Amino acid sequence: MAGNELRNQIRRLRFDNGEMTQQQLADCVGVTRQTIIAIEGGKYAPSLPLAFRIARVFNVTIEQVFHYEAG
Amino acid sequence: MNRSQKISLTLVITFSLGLFLGITAIVMRRSGVGVWKIALAFAVAIAGSGGIISLIFFRKDKAATTHDERDEQIWKNAHLAGFGAVYLYVILMSFLPIGILGEEASIPVTWCPGLLIGAGFSQVFAQSLAILIQYGWGGKDGGK
Repeated sequence: MAGNELRNQIRRLRFDNGEMTQQQLADCVGVTRQTIIAIEGGKYAPSLPLAFRIARVFNVTIEQVFHYEAG
Repeated sequence: MNRSQKISLTLVITFSLGLFLGITAIVMRRSGVGVWKIALAFAVAIAGSGGIISLIFFRKDKAATTHDERDEQIWKNAHLAGFGAVYLYVILMSFLPIGILGEEASIPVTWCPGLLIGAGFSQVFAQSLAILIQYGWGGKDGGK
């Protein structure tokens, strides 16, 4: 379930976007705060639609939010 | 901790206590202590109290989003764990009497409903345990 290879920039993007809270982001993408915590911590790999919704909130591409590190 | 974590934790605690008391009752019966029936009744009451406690104290969350894809995935895995536990339980309970009592022995007919109740308990116990493990026991990942 958890994908350690999938890194993300959600924390940085939240702070760059007016210090958005985890709850605010969760409300924007329609998930619980727990899920945002799990994604930020790299413990849960979100589905593709959710990844797109997160990217859309920050107005960036999906690659700017998530990147896959092979190995 | 979210609602399903609280319910799971309650069920794991009550079932563990019930199981402990149940084993104590069996030991008391084997060693001839007279109050084993009271201990067994307590065991069943404690194990069954988990569901009632959950219904009374853990009402549905009023937040806009109560669950999402991650919760659904966790519940799906937990259901699978519960199913696996029931399967294992039925196999064990079907073969244990032969192993313990021998091929020629007989068991009371009350074994069958007991088997059904036990299967229910083991399913809920395994499911609750799986939920707690996947959420990370309500720690950092669980998000308080």
